[in-house]
Amino acid sequence: MRPNEPYSTVDRLDRPSAYYNKASSHHIFPISSSHLTHYQNKRRRDHRDDDANGDAPAEPPVDPLANATTLYVGNLSFYTTEEQVYELFSKVGEIKRLIMGLDRFAKTPCGFCFVEYYTHQDALDCMKYIGGTKLDERIIRTDLDPGFEEGRQYGRGKSGGQVRDEYREDFDEGRGGVGRAIQTDGREYDDEPRR
Amino acid sequence: MGDYDRRQSGGYHRKRRYRDDDDHYDRRNQRRRTDSAPLPVRVRRQLLSIADSPMRRWSEEVQNIAFMVTDNYDDENLRSTFTKLAMQLHLEQPLKTPFVAAVLLVANTRKSELLGEFLTKLAQSIESKIALGEWRDVKLHLKLLACLQSTLEGDGLFPLLDELFNRAADLQTASSDDTIGTELVKIIQLTIPYIMVSAHGQFHQKAAELMEKTDIIASEPHALQALVDPFLPEGADKSSSASPSLCMLLQKQLQAEAGKDWELACLPRPWEMPLEDVELQEKLSSPPKHPLPSINIPVTVIAGPHPLFPEVYFSVYADQDTQSVPPSTSIASSLIRDGLIDTINILNFNRNVTARYLMDLDCYFAEGTFVKRATPFDELRNFPSNSSTWKPEDVAVDTVFSQIFQLPKSECKLVYYHSVLTEACKLAPAAIAPSLGRAIRFLYRNNPRMDLELSYRFLDWFSHHLSNFGFTWKWAEWTSDTDLPERHPSIWFLKGALDKEVRLSFAQRIQKTLPQEYHKFVGPEKEKDVPDFKFSNPDTPFSKEGQEIGALLRRKATDEEFEPLIESIHAQATEQALDPLVASTDVFMTAVCWVGSKSLSHVLACIDRTKLRLLDVGAKSEAARSQIVTSVMDYWQAHPGIALSIIEKLLNYSVLTPFSVMDWALVAATPSNGTDGGFSLAQPHVFELVSHTVAKVTTRVRQLYTSSDIDEDGRAKETKAMRELFQAMNDALSSWAAGSKDEMMEDGDGTTSEEAMTRRWGQRWLRVFQRKAAIEEAFLLEAGKTAAAKADDSADAELID
Repeated sequence: MRPNEPYSTVDRLDRPSAYYNKASSHHIFPISSSHLTHYQNKRRRDHRDDDANGDAPAEPPVDPLANATTLYVGNLSFYTTEEQVYELFSKVGEIKRLIMGLDRFAKTPCGFCFVEYYTHQDALDCMKYIGGTKLDERIIRTDLDPGFEEGRQYGRGKSGGQVRDEYREDFDEGRGGVGRAIQTDGREYDDEPRR
Repeated sequence: MGDYDRRQSGGYHRKRRYRDDDDHYDRRNQRRRTDSAPLPVRVRRQLLSIADSPMRRWSEEVQNIAFMVTDNYDDENLRSTFTKLAMQLHLEQPLKTPFVAAVLLVANTRKSELLGEFLTKLAQSIESKIALGEWRDVKLHLKLLACLQSTLEGDGLFPLLDELFNRAADLQTASSDDTIGTELVKIIQLTIPYIMVSAHGQFHQKAAELMEKTDIIASEPHALQALVDPFLPEGADKSSSASPSLCMLLQKQLQAEAGKDWELACLPRPWEMPLEDVELQEKLSSPPKHPLPSINIPVTVIAGPHPLFPEVYFSVYADQDTQSVPPSTSIASSLIRDGLIDTINILNFNRNVTARYLMDLDCYFAEGTFVKRATPFDELRNFPSNSSTWKPEDVAVDTVFSQIFQLPKSECKLVYYHSVLTEACKLAPAAIAPSLGRAIRFLYRNNPRMDLELSYRFLDWFSHHLSNFGFTWKWAEWTSDTDLPERHPSIWFLKGALDKEVRLSFAQRIQKTLPQEYHKFVGPEKEKDVPDFKFSNPDTPFSKEGQEIGALLRRKATDEEFEPLIESIHAQATEQALDPLVASTDVFMTAVCWVGSKSLSHVLACIDRTKLRLLDVGAKSEAARSQIVTSVMDYWQAHPGIALSIIEKLLNYSVLTPFSVMDWALVAATPSNGTDGGFSLAQPHVFELVSHTVAKVTTRVRQLYTSSDIDEDGRAKETKAMRELFQAMNDALSSWAAGSKDEMMEDGDGTTSEEAMTRRWGQRWLRVFQRKAAIEEAFLLEAGKTAAAKADDSADAELID
């Protein structure tokens, strides 16, 4: 819930997920300091200085998603093509850019992508009308995203794909069967930091 | 948030909440703690979920909330929580309005100050919404106020409605194109029933007088109505079957209802208490009265942020032998649909809740309005004649389709309504699927006579919907249609729908879902991810150059390296008396498509690298621009979706102009065109291409007029270009529609069935783009007025200074 917005009598589907909220507070999203606003830089500093002066004026936090036009799209099949994503996601508005998520080593699709629209409203509408529906016969997940940056198109799992596909125990034909860690030797992945 | 806990905490709790003897039982349940929640939280929770339970304990729910609020009237926090929520709830979930009203009515018998204060707030909000032109909110406020009519002094709401009508009459007298007046009349018409149900047995005379007035406006067909009729009948039955407007229907329905002593059987009356509460019932029938706070209506009312158009009643179950939805002669059809439409459109931010509402809609209307949920259609004919045969599922599905097929434009993006139907199917597949099936059959049957834009919406919804449910459909029932002539509207639909299915999936998958007869629509060429490169065949003219250009593009060669090959093509083409630039453009653009055939990213990157050359070529000649379109469409002919994406990007890069795309598809001014003797008109993807292109132009113009920095030159230039585009389309389509297009004259004598079909396609296209042109003109007119008003304002301000 953003500040200054009245509660609705029912939940809204165009909110960032719990994952985003958690991840952004742990800086999993690679925001280089040059991309931080003045306030965020200040906040980092304030945080360190908190003990020194405890009564810093409370400014409202800058919401990096307030004007987001990009969505993270998850749970795609490895076989889903750009054209299929285009066909479905164009139903809410013209797509500015589409970046397929790739296996870091094999450079093949690994089940996610970023869709960028021209307007924030289109991105919100996508959350409401496309997220949780099927593409290529799989329920896909959408999440508002502060914006694509080079490097984020690659899977962060140890073997190159997404982390979730390392440990997955269920057999998912569209995502390469069971998790790769289970396919090979589960132990070597134990030191993988969980997200 | 966590506010939204409808069903889960539903009725079975509430009925025990205040009974001490059940406490023991209740304690086993985790939810027990909700009982000790602070009062405002409890009031909020109970008001939010009012009437949601299928147990229909209306009087109990209403009394619980009203008592909680009035017993603790001194609790300011509680009072403001209640008031705020009641104000919000009837705007966001209008099906609950009568129930909110009932709580207020009961509270009024115990603490009349509460309603007094509430009325003041409500009146203030009505006044500001009128000033803003937020007409739907005005309607929703008035609906609540109407339900409170029995507590208002004198004639209550009628004087206000009279005044609203006077504004409507002024507007209509001033201009027959006016849409605000029609909207006001509709609001008045939809408010009257709630007044009559609230003040039972009274005000018959007042209502009759008001309806006499609205009749004058409602019985006159609106000037814009012909443009938004969902059907475009052919030939002979042209005049007879124009769809009635909503206002006309409402007028007749109200008159019929007045004749039945305002029975209004479908409306809930939650303020009617059961026999054991006779005391309360007595108080309710002689309640403390309040004056209606004054509500000022400005002399000039404005259209507000949402464009207004006359509405036409559309039902996919209209032609059934058994009525599974209220007939358009019954006021119930309008009242139920009005409440549902508002609910659907307002709750667009949570399609799950919307779908839930659709499935539970019988909860919010009077007992006996509908048959039991999931009653099979075939059983309806066995029902006795005096009982309802209205299926709640059919009413729900019908309402969603009325929004998908709303002209000129539905309120929300079409994909929202797709998603609502998807969720409804997920919630109650067995109940909804048969209703949907009957709707699909109606739409398929009527596709040839529907407005072409609506036929396209049907095709788009159908394929998208099936993609969410494993692409299963009983194709066998249309098998005999697969042999129809290739310009037949049913072929148009089948081809278009299956192409879109393939776009969302892939050819082999879709083939598996189809009977053999349909496989020709998903042929082997659709199975190929990378179409053949025609220049790989040595027999193709310029094959050597084509292959070399392809190789150069592959290795990202510099622009100069292409030059000798292009010149070689030019030389050979000149020898063969071909247009050299057209010849080289075909080779180059086809090679770009082929080199980028791996994915859209590839082709976009390739276009990005060769953009300057393409821009240069496009700028040189109309014929070359047209060839660019032809080359893309030819290369990707088995996958028109990809071709359209590429052309969209070429438009963004200004390599192509909207005019060149339209010209290619409809006018055939250049040799390399896509009209194919009018066959282009019978191709669903060509309609998609032209619609997208026109949408790009109109969006751009609108942006220029709504943007805060005023760019007069840009506006004038883009507006002129848009008008020229529409004019050219109008000319081309008019001649297709009349059968006077040169190609048609040359080919035959104008009497074959193929020619007749082409003429019909021309007429259907023409109607769509004439409407679009009219709507943009209306927008420009409105924008001009706003600009003038602003200029006046600033002039006034200067005078004051």
